[in-house]
Amino acid sequence: MRKYVIAIAVVIVFLAIFIPFASSSPDGLERVAETLGIKQSASFWKGIMKDYSVSLVGNPYLSTLLAGIFGVLLVIVFSLVLGKVVTGKKAVAYQ
Amino acid sequence: MHIPDGFLSPTVAITMLLVAFIFLAFSWRKVQSTHSHSYAAVLAISSAFVFAAQMINYPIAFGTSGHLVGGTFLAVLLGPWAGMLSMSIVLLMQALFFADGGLLAFGANIFNMAVIGALSFFIFKYLNGNSTSPRRFASSIFVASWLSVFLGALACGLEIGFSPVFANAGGLWITVPSMLFWHAIIGVGEGLISMSLLTAIQRLNPSLLGGLMLLKKKATP
Repeated sequence: MRKYVIAIAVVIVFLAIFIPFASSSPDGLERVAETLGIKQSASFWKGIMKDYSVSLVGNPYLSTLLAGIFGVLLVIVFSLVLGKVVTGKKAVAYQ
Repeated sequence: MHIPDGFLSPTVAITMLLVAFIFLAFSWRKVQSTHSHSYAAVLAISSAFVFAAQMINYPIAFGTSGHLVGGTFLAVLLGPWAGMLSMSIVLLMQALFFADGGLLAFGANIFNMAVIGALSFFIFKYLNGNSTSPRRFASSIFVASWLSVFLGALACGLEIGFSPVFANAGGLWITVPSMLFWHAIIGVGEGLISMSLLTAIQRLNPSLLGGLMLLKKKATP
């Protein structure tokens, strides 16, 4: 248990360090669409933390970091649930 | 490489949802028969790391950026089938909570990143063979992960190329080459990051490399 908490903490520290260095330039697909003059149409689904920011928090760094932490926790919870459902009871193959 | 809603024609979106479903059902069955409950935690941590890494875009050139996809990384770490599920969780969370990648485009995004990423395991396996050389291991990872991004971009270019939105801009003949151009560069980042991460893991904690152990088991029955 302890080592998993440490692992999650490491992932969050990783985010805290690297978020300021993240590039805000368009990614490959966005660049292709932009070059071709195609606008992303307003989506019917806006998510809760669009563009990885929590709208309640003004500071962009904290807002992105908070969205990242929420995301990490959501991923952990969903994969734990999926992992428990999908894996069998018997331990075979590796580990 | 996350396709938003509105970039795909409904036919392509629905076809890709079906294709994604078939691959996910297959990997579900595979994971069910090979992994025990204790594996869930490893799966969760790996997914969490890939989610975080995907948030950090690195600049490549000409005002364009890319980020680690992590398909090959997960496939070598967890094995192709658990890797596919792990990546799908990341994509699902991004689409549901962050509107990163559309809901209708979800099937295409699963195919381009989770399925192709997972299948790149077999490219890695083919290139690495039964070799125990660390250099061969590293270069096989690099090539497999570069290809996973390049082939993902090819699939993405084809999918958006068929849509009416991109048809006026030239369709396939424009979208495929431009996707390939950018992702040939982005893929170098993918290759370097996957290579450093996996060689570090192999050195520090080789028992974590589930995919690789699968490989060794086959080599010496």
